[in-house]
Formats: sequence, structure tokens, C-alpha cells
Amino acid sequence: MNEKNPCALITGISGQDGTYLAELLLRKNYKIIGITRNIETTKEKLPFELKNRIDLVSWDFTNQQKIIDILLDNHPDEIYNFAAYSSGVGMYDNPIDISKINGLSVTLILEAIRLIDPDIRFCQASSSEMYGYIEDSPQSELTRFKPRSPYGAAKLYAHAMIEIYRQQYGLFACSAILFNHESPRRGLEFVTRKITHGAAMIKLGQEKKLHLGNLEACRDWGYAGDYVYAMSLMVSHSEAGDYVVATEKIHSVRDFCKIAFNHLGLNYLDYIHVDKSICRPSEPYQLVGNSNKAERTLGWVPKINFKELVCMMVDSDMQTLSKKYLK
Amino acid sequence: MKNKKALITGITGQDGAYLAEFLLGKGYEVHGIKRRASSFNTTRIDHLYRDPHEEKVRFFLHHGDMTDSSSIIHIIQKVQPDEIYNLAAQSHVAVSFEEPEYTANSDALGPLRVLEAIRILGLEKKVRFYQASTSELFGEVQEVPQRESTPFYPRSPYAVAKLYAYWITINYREAYGIYACNGILFNHESPVRGENFVTRKITRALVRIKLGLQDNLYLGNLDAKRDWGHAKDYVEMQWLMLQQAKPEDFVIATGVQHSVRDFVNIAARELDIVITWNGSGLDERGYDKSGKCIVLVDPRYFRPTEVETLLGDASNAKEKLGWTPKISFDELVKEMVSVDFKEAQRDELMKNNGYQVNTPYE
Repeated sequence: MNEKNPCALITGISGQDGTYLAELLLRKNYKIIGITRNIETTKEKLPFELKNRIDLVSWDFTNQQKIIDILLDNHPDEIYNFAAYSSGVGMYDNPIDISKINGLSVTLILEAIRLIDPDIRFCQASSSEMYGYIEDSPQSELTRFKPRSPYGAAKLYAHAMIEIYRQQYGLFACSAILFNHESPRRGLEFVTRKITHGAAMIKLGQEKKLHLGNLEACRDWGYAGDYVYAMSLMVSHSEAGDYVVATEKIHSVRDFCKIAFNHLGLNYLDYIHVDKSICRPSEPYQLVGNSNKAERTLGWVPKINFKELVCMMVDSDMQTLSKKYLK
Repeated sequence: MKNKKALITGITGQDGAYLAEFLLGKGYEVHGIKRRASSFNTTRIDHLYRDPHEEKVRFFLHHGDMTDSSSIIHIIQKVQPDEIYNLAAQSHVAVSFEEPEYTANSDALGPLRVLEAIRILGLEKKVRFYQASTSELFGEVQEVPQRESTPFYPRSPYAVAKLYAYWITINYREAYGIYACNGILFNHESPVRGENFVTRKITRALVRIKLGLQDNLYLGNLDAKRDWGHAKDYVEMQWLMLQQAKPEDFVIATGVQHSVRDFVNIAARELDIVITWNGSGLDERGYDKSGKCIVLVDPRYFRPTEVETLLGDASNAKEKLGWTPKISFDELVKEMVSVDFKEAQRDELMKNNGYQVNTPYE
């Protein structure tokens, strides 16, 4: 028997999570179709090793007919949805676009699955931002969602629609409630990458100071590679469900700085400048996930711990920036 | 003092019409947004409308659409309202399963477009915003009765879209200091309720059965229980919510629950029809005194994911807004039956005089 290789469709293919998942699935001999708004810019952004191994198709995330056509043309077995305006700075800009892309587009994908092939398995990158006003800690799948940004409200819309389509139409649709997840591929607008990049620049003598917001802000930070692995486990499980994906450990921005600068033989206190103006409005105070269900049901546990994550990011920034500045 | 100005989206709907009348009575200048349609869609407010060429007109209509940001921004800019009541929505739960994208675009993004317009126009301190939230947010209820603190569990694309709108309203209140609040209204009915909502469907059908204009009434889940109030009572509370010192979200309900079957019985009683029920589930039927079957169950009207029971606890509104509903359930049903009866009599008269009478159904 010559079974056809499975085909996965990934939106947000050029982002941190999209590339990690693509690499994971390519190792398992999947055929990967990347969905993107702009094929040319996505090609530029994709890591070299992925460029020629992924087919790209374009979708603007607001057109129902086009996503139906994409499913008809490609007959995917699985769809992973990472396309979104990302969290952090900018969660309050363009709220209408944020809501269309982060929220409504999920309904369009679910409708397309329902119409074209209800056996397609779907996994949505949901977000711990859905919890918003936190009332109890740690947060699990059963904790109430009280989003406090357009980003969180749109993600909650998508999460709730997934449950409707699962119950009403029996679709295999999962919502992965991902807590913060970082990697060397994290964008520079995120605090973690800003720190590791900044520390490396200081080490190389290219910068003198690093400007940050609130140092005491705490997060549950995991490694993106571990988190997309959890999503692949959800999709291959016998039943669809919602899962919190988190490390269950909490660290402050200050902890992050300490480890990052230490790793380069520096003391963070000598370089950090706290800038009140870049604290984001309505900051959720303490987010930490309870991923018992993922561990129990999927056998998932994070493999990379906090210190390893920070050092991995610092090493990567040092490597890239050394090439640039130490010629 | 100058008259306050109110802008109502969904002016052509049940609540829009009652609220407009209420606010005009309070001396407001009232502006409404309606969609342009090929046929007139203003029957609920025709009695309020005056030719704008007349003097001292205080009621104005504007063409706009909740799915079109620029129309909303232009109207708000032109009107410069003191209060905005966002009542516009694709408000039918079953339809939301058929049109989930449109439902989200109008019910979720619609209120966001209004809030954004307030912000873009720099009216955060001037305008007060009311969002028509709904008991459908409670869906599969997590406690009985439902109050402001009860967790939400939406069961339809309509409810999910309204959930988004609920949070975005709170979000704009917290992030931008806009006086914005949610009225979590339980079912509210009236003689001008849409004909495809179950209460109005029942009263319309029974009067027509009574007059021999129609044979049967087909319904969905007879056991579904709802907390039904009168829209006229509820719009007063919408206004009250915007008159407080601080914005807050309120549950509005009667605290009394009836099943769909109860509603049928009470409406029939108003027409001196006594219904005897027989069978169960899909085979349940209602017979009149002569043994004629007049009520049947059609699974077509079952909701895909049923919300079985809703019952509200409006103690908070009672305490802080001093609000209690004035119109009882029996009075509500009686009024609906009597208005529909007159309409049916008109049809009967026309029919008996040789004119063709069409009864629109869905």
C-alpha cells in the first residue's frame, strides 16, 4: 500500500510558531501548504531550509470563497491556524482588523471545513490573553475568560466558535490555549527577544542601555518548539478538545534580564533603564497556566526550561550579531 | 437647557421603536440609523415620524449600516449625540447558524465600530454608550437564576458574537474611560416583536386559527423555558443605565419563567381556546375543544444547540436603578394577542370582501 503523505495547511507560516510547526511536520513527511496574505514577503521571511519545501498560497483572511477554494484545491488533512496580529504592544491598534484576522477568520475556516470536508482536523492557536482579568491562579481550561483587550476578545470569539462547531457539527476542532512562548525567532517587539537582542548588542559594544517597561511583570514563559509539538499531539489525539499549554512556572522580566545578562558575563543592573511610557495599558497581573490536562491526556510536558530558553535566545542573538559586527 | 440628543442604532426594530418613543417623551432629540432596503422597513416607527420640513421636528433617520465603519463615523460626527444606544443586530439565534460571518460582522464588530468612532472623533468624555447584551450569553446556564456574576457559556454564533461585544464594551470603558455599559437583557417581547420570534409567532398564529385564516401552528422545543418581559419596560431601563454616576453592567429580567407550552396555553386562553396536549417529543400535539389538532412540533424549529432554560435575577438593577418591570407576563400576552387579533380581523374583512390576503411565514 502506498499511502499518500498527510497534508497540513498552516496559516501564519512565516511566524515563529508557523516555522517551528512546519519543521516538525516536515520531519514526519507531511506535505506543507503555507497560507499567507503576501507570498513574496513571506518567501523573504521564511528560513532558508523551509523555502523550497513549502507551497505557499495566498488568502486575505476575510474572503470566505477563497478559503473554500484553497481547501478544494489542496485537500488538507489538518489545518493549523497561527495567523494573527500578535499580542503585546499594538494590541490596542487597529482593533477592527485585529478582530477580523484573529477572530472572524476562524469562523471562515470552520465554515469551509464544514462545507468541503468535515474530516479535516483543525487546531487554533488560542491565547492566555483570553483570561484578562484574572481571578484565580493558575489558569486551566475551566477558568473563566475575561479578556481586557481587543486582541483577547477576538481570540475568545474564535475559541468559543470552535466549541460551537465541535458540538453542533462534530468537527474535530481544537483550541490550544497557549501561554507566552518564546524562541530565537520571536519578533523584536516582544520583551523577551528585546532583552536577549539588547544584551547581545551591549556585549558587542553596539548599545549602552536597554529600555524596558515594568521589570516586575511576571509571565509563564515556554519554548515555542515545545508548544507547537503540543498542538500536533492534540490533532493526532482520538478526540478533539481544548488544552492549556504552559510551563506552570512563573518568572519576572527582571529574572529574564538577570539570566540573559549573566550568560554574557554582565550585570543587568548596569544596563537596564526603566521607561514608564512603554508599559502597556491594563496589564494583566499574573498569568500562569495549569497544563495538567495536556500532560494527562496527551503526555505532553515542556522539554526546555526557563534558563535553557533564555540562554538559547541569547546565544542565537550573539551568533547572528557577531557575524554582523565582528568582521 | 438644550435638548439632549440620542442616537439609536437598530431604530426600526422592536426596542428601537419603544426607546425612540420613550426618549421623545423625555424631550430628547432622537436620531436613528437604519439600513437602506428596497422595501420600506419603518412600520414600527411610522407613528413617530414627522416630515422633516415641518417645524420643531425632533426625530430624524439616517441611512447607515453596522458593517460599514465610515457610515457610522459620519453619522456620529454629524449628530454629535450625548447618548448612543446600540440596538442594531442580526438578532435571530437560528439564523446565526446559517449566517455566522454576517452575524459576527454586525453583532460583534458593529459595536466595536461605534466605540472606535467615539474614540476617533474625540467624544470619549461626551458620549455615553449602551450595548444591548443578551441572556443568550448564559446559554448552557452555570447557575440558576443568572445574574451579573454568572459565568457565560454561549451556545450559538449569535451568542458568541454578543460575547465579543460585551467584552469590547468593558474594554473601551476601562482603557479609554468611555461611559459604556452592557444591559444583559432577558427575552423581551411586545406586539411589535419580529414575526419569526416564538412569542409573536404563537400569538399571530392563534388569532388566525381562531378566525379560520390558518389551520395549524408548528413549533420547536415546547419545553424551552424563558424569562419573558415587556420591551416597553426594558427600554426605560436602558435609558436609566446611562443616567448613573458610574457606568455599570446590569442584568434585566422579570425573575419569572414560563415554558413555550405555557405561553401557548395562556395566549389561547385569551381567545377562549382550551388546548389539550397529547403525546410527547416530536409527536406532542395540541388539540382544541372540538378535537382538531392546532399545534404541532416541527424539528425544523429546534435550535441546533438548544438553550433549555433562562431565568434572570435583576436584584442589582432593582437596587441601584430603582427599576422593576411594570407589565406582568399575563398582561404582555394579552396585549400581544389583542393587537394581533385586530390585525387578523382586518385580514378577515378583506378576505370576506374578495381581496387576496397573504400570510407571510418563515
